[in-house]
Amino acid sequence: MNDACRMPALLLAAWIIAMPAALAQDSERNRYFVQQMIEMAATNNEQGVAGMQRMLEQNPRPAAPDQAAARAAFQHGLALFGQDALDAALEAFQQASRDDPGNADAANYAGLVYRKMGRFPEAEAALQQALALEPTRAVAWFQLAQVYGLTNDADRALGALANTYRFAQNQMRAEEILRNIAENEAADILRNAALETLRLFHLPAEAVIVPPLPANPDGIVPMNSAPIPTRAP
Amino acid sequence: MNFPLLAFRGVALALALTGALPASASQYETIDYYVQQMIALASANEEAGVLIFREQIENLPRPEPGDARQASPFSQHGQERLAGGQLKEALAAFRQAFIADPADPEIAGALGLTYLRLRRFKEAERLLVYALSLAPTRSASWLALGQVYGQQGDVRRATGAFVNALRFAQDQPQATEQLRQLATADPADAVRIGALQALRATKPAPATKPVPLTDSPPPQPAVPVQPGGDSRHVSEIQTTPSTTTTRDLLGSLKQGLALLAKPADPATAEPTASPAADNGNPGQRIYRRGMPLTCLIVTFQDGKTANLGSGLLVSKDGLVITNNHVIDKAENLAVRCGDRESVARIRKRSKEPDLALLATKLKSKESFILNQTYSQDLIGLDVFVIGNPYGLESTFSTGVISGLREIDGVRYIQISAPISPGNSGGPVILRDGTVIGVATMGLKVGQNLNFAIAAADVIASPIFAPKQMQVRSVSAP
Repeated sequence: MNDACRMPALLLAAWIIAMPAALAQDSERNRYFVQQMIEMAATNNEQGVAGMQRMLEQNPRPAAPDQAAARAAFQHGLALFGQDALDAALEAFQQASRDDPGNADAANYAGLVYRKMGRFPEAEAALQQALALEPTRAVAWFQLAQVYGLTNDADRALGALANTYRFAQNQMRAEEILRNIAENEAADILRNAALETLRLFHLPAEAVIVPPLPANPDGIVPMNSAPIPTRAP
Repeated sequence: MNFPLLAFRGVALALALTGALPASASQYETIDYYVQQMIALASANEEAGVLIFREQIENLPRPEPGDARQASPFSQHGQERLAGGQLKEALAAFRQAFIADPADPEIAGALGLTYLRLRRFKEAERLLVYALSLAPTRSASWLALGQVYGQQGDVRRATGAFVNALRFAQDQPQATEQLRQLATADPADAVRIGALQALRATKPAPATKPVPLTDSPPPQPAVPVQPGGDSRHVSEIQTTPSTTTTRDLLGSLKQGLALLAKPADPATAEPTASPAADNGNPGQRIYRRGMPLTCLIVTFQDGKTANLGSGLLVSKDGLVITNNHVIDKAENLAVRCGDRESVARIRKRSKEPDLALLATKLKSKESFILNQTYSQDLIGLDVFVIGNPYGLESTFSTGVISGLREIDGVRYIQISAPISPGNSGGPVILRDGTVIGVATMGLKVGQNLNFAIAAADVIASPIFAPKQMQVRSVSAP
């Protein structure tokens, strides 16, 4: 092989070696910006949040090797998710992400499935990926807040909920969702974070005196709560 | 007054104000601005201006429609609960409906009305303003918003909202009657004044059919019907000329208010028994009477829920007995007895017997009576237990007194009624409604071998407060 042929090959090899590192750097960078958005939201630093949002939005959109396949995989994942087939749905959403790394929907749903599976670190990573692609996606912020709430991270749950409200298309609906959580959520961290978020935005909120009890404490299924079939006499 | 000139002034003012909204206003600030302008112009009887802002609202971008099919059953459920006065249940249902379909003005309005009934006026205002942004001519939302302002003492805005309620009502006689009711019967001064001013400010709706040209009397407040009441003061209110100042009106209305029945205070109202409460089933009777006096106790540590148990209300000034182990290590305490909630603090506690006395803000006309009997005669009597096992609130179970035991110097009533973690501190009740013990522990081996600290030992313990708690001996079975 002559030098002229060798040069592109070397460049390709260098790019292949460097690519994971670059991707990892991008991922870390994006994670940093998302975390900054959370921190700044928790102190209602609107300008700071907007600045970090712009940084994320300036990221070039990743190339999509096969957008059509990504769409098909995503739709398949949605159908599986609807059937509560979480493992298969997760695989489909991951496939959609591989086929189109810029597909925020796929990353968001992967995060949702991970959360439902109780795999919180993976859920956090997937949701951060979704937010890096689309930092104003309120649903992803809400999912992320729940992950933090379930992992007892009160500050970040507050920041993520604040961004949920900030970016909600219908803020009155978001406000009512927050109020619902602040009054009815059994998980203390999430409930308190919702209350703090309402206060952060000077929205009316009522702190509960007696917190709501878990709907299903220790896995108990109250037998008398099931509807009793009745037959006409 | 020259009407065309007035109309022109209203239009000019409205046009000037339409551009006054800051560009950075939030979604709610924008719609609130327009709704407030409609109120201000309505109270000044600037009809043309009101219509301009109505148009501005109608030109705002609509929120994304939600899932009406999902919202519908919640909404229906909420209406049923609201009609039945179950406000918390109605709130939960309308919230779900609103979250499912936030673009439906009926649902947003119903949620706002529920907040109003719960006296959560800030939330009510926001939801009703939002509902009006979806449907600025929805009379019911204006009527409820007027009440929200009136409840907060804002006569001017109450009047403006009520004027709009009348202006946009499809059924004018019904809306007029609703305002008359508010003008006479509402306990809040500003609601009554606002409703009365709106009735006076608004001309009767133009009839669609020719009517005889006679002077129709202006709308008058209805005379409140009160047995034995003196209606002369009310007549004075009715004959007050329309030029009366607000201060005069307030004075007159205060006189009228004196004639109106004071609404019952739910905190001190006598519990009313349902017809089923008088039937022959002692369990149902005991449950209905004992449930509001049985408390859920929640403890907090490091800002998080740490433990939960049960308790019993034993005095009219809110003293609650529970087990010491329930509140052990608690930094903060909250109790819920029936529908009422309060923070609590520990007044006294003792390790042996395992008891604690909590002070709460729950005033009550009824409280549990402790039964001081501790004798072999108790064995075989029916007992009833109310508590919150595993957080399953107000769980009711029954059994008999199986024995009397003394463990480490403490007298216990052994019962066969099932108890579980979360029952600790709850009442063990006899057929006559007196408390014979405080549910405390059970044996893990065997079946239904459970123990309650004898009420006799509660009375003998340092937590007993003789001036506040009632005691009785066992009545004949």
